[in-house]
Amino acid sequence: MNEPGQTPDPDLAADADPLAPQIRALFAALDHAGELPGASAGPGRVVRGEAGREALGTRVCFALRLLEGRIAVARFRAYGCPHTLATCEWLARRLEGHSVAGGALEAPGVGNPLEWSERLGLPGAKLGRLLVIEDALRAALAQA
Amino acid sequence: MSDPIYLDYAATTPVDARVAAAMGECLTRTGVFGNPASQHVFGRRARARVEAARAQVASLIGAPAAQIIWTSGATESNNLAILGTARAARARFAGRHQPHIVTSRTEHKAVLDPCRRLEQDGVLVNYLSPDALGIIDPQQVREAIGEDTVLVSLMHANNEIGVLQDIDAIGACCRERGVPLHVDAAQSAGKVPIDLSNAPVDLLSLTAHKLYGPKGIGALYVSPQRRAELQPLMFGGGQERGLRSGTLAVHQIVGFGLACELCADARLEESRRVAALRARLWDGLRSIDGTLLNGHPTQRVAGILNVSFPGVEGESLVAGLTELALSTSSACNADSDEASYVLRALGRDTQTAQSSLRFSLGRFSVDADVDQAVAAVRREVARLRAVAP
Repeated sequence: MNEPGQTPDPDLAADADPLAPQIRALFAALDHAGELPGASAGPGRVVRGEAGREALGTRVCFALRLLEGRIAVARFRAYGCPHTLATCEWLARRLEGHSVAGGALEAPGVGNPLEWSERLGLPGAKLGRLLVIEDALRAALAQA
Repeated sequence: MSDPIYLDYAATTPVDARVAAAMGECLTRTGVFGNPASQHVFGRRARARVEAARAQVASLIGAPAAQIIWTSGATESNNLAILGTARAARARFAGRHQPHIVTSRTEHKAVLDPCRRLEQDGVLVNYLSPDALGIIDPQQVREAIGEDTVLVSLMHANNEIGVLQDIDAIGACCRERGVPLHVDAAQSAGKVPIDLSNAPVDLLSLTAHKLYGPKGIGALYVSPQRRAELQPLMFGGGQERGLRSGTLAVHQIVGFGLACELCADARLEESRRVAALRARLWDGLRSIDGTLLNGHPTQRVAGILNVSFPGVEGESLVAGLTELALSTSSACNADSDEASYVLRALGRDTQTAQSSLRFSLGRFSVDADVDQAVAAVRREVARLRAVAP
């Protein structure tokens, strides 16, 4: 914290990662990216949803394994900016274990794109990309 | 954490230490701090340094020193060339016709934006489309020139893809029709030979910070035949023969002059060395599946390589390459996540254009930098492709 009248160190600010630490950490560890293991043979039922187009800069696909009314496993594939990939990872982590009754997006802790943006500290310009993620997720959950 | 490897020399270059030292001599009380317009000894000393620098800059492009006008950089030089020519033409035409300008879709924004501004005032502008390799055919220029054409403005080396236009052939077309040619040489000066004693060029924009000089200083070469066809954009002290008023920034000018001299001395050897580095970089990158080279494979400046990695989003690619400092498109356009208009003009689709990286090599680039860059790009492309749908 700078004392009153103290000039912030410009080098310190400039050296900061343009990605917020939370986004950087998620982007670096996309552990939930990929296909569902044994999608056809595993227990429960798999639902899928996708939205967006590569030509428009963002495309997101979700695959969710449902077991006893809950999301047992969540996986995604995505083409997009680092914020898009990081948000997909964050959501996939949070979705696992949530009940699909009433729609997982409304479940506590999952929320909507505005809440995701606030919780992850995303730039306002990224909201459009979050809406693509939401569409993909809703498309998958509509089959639940 | 150590600094990333700098691969963005087309955005800007570090100031040469010898240049910085020479600039420092022009700042303090014991140095050459005078106003070159002053008649006393301090002013005369400053003026002598300014004129020596003017000769150094002129020498780099084979021009007489008297034809060099100092500006704040290539953006101002381009604005002066384009807006200044259009204003003078409108005065000559006296409302009977609208002036017409020929340029291309792949110019720097510092050319396109003044042209668009002029269009709002009724000036007619033709934007030529290059071929798929980024080349403008001189015949396109010949065909675009009309009765009211007052300027052709085309860049020498493209800032995003490094492609060189055949300025001699384009200039010959302009001379046939008596139309002045303006060339933005910000990316080529000091890297490829420019000899205005032979080249049919009437106006040429330069900037210091692309050739190891300071930011904030540039120049416009104005041929004596075209001086009367140019109106100033700034008024005040009548400096630079009335074309660019304002107290001359002696330290910047001295730095620019020395940077030009140093570049000229090292140009041949340096361009060979950088070209070999670029070839090494391309050899490494082309082995990544699907990699596409953007722009002409040989008609280009040594230091710039623009490559697309289909299926990989450019912003994510750059974000993953934390050990490299480079651009997804030109630095002047980097705040926008729109696909590069230059690559779109070459016919690349939006997705391919968005997946592009511009590598630009320079004086301090070495083999190890290139090898590390190739390894990092290979790693990130594989990671992001594995994540993609």
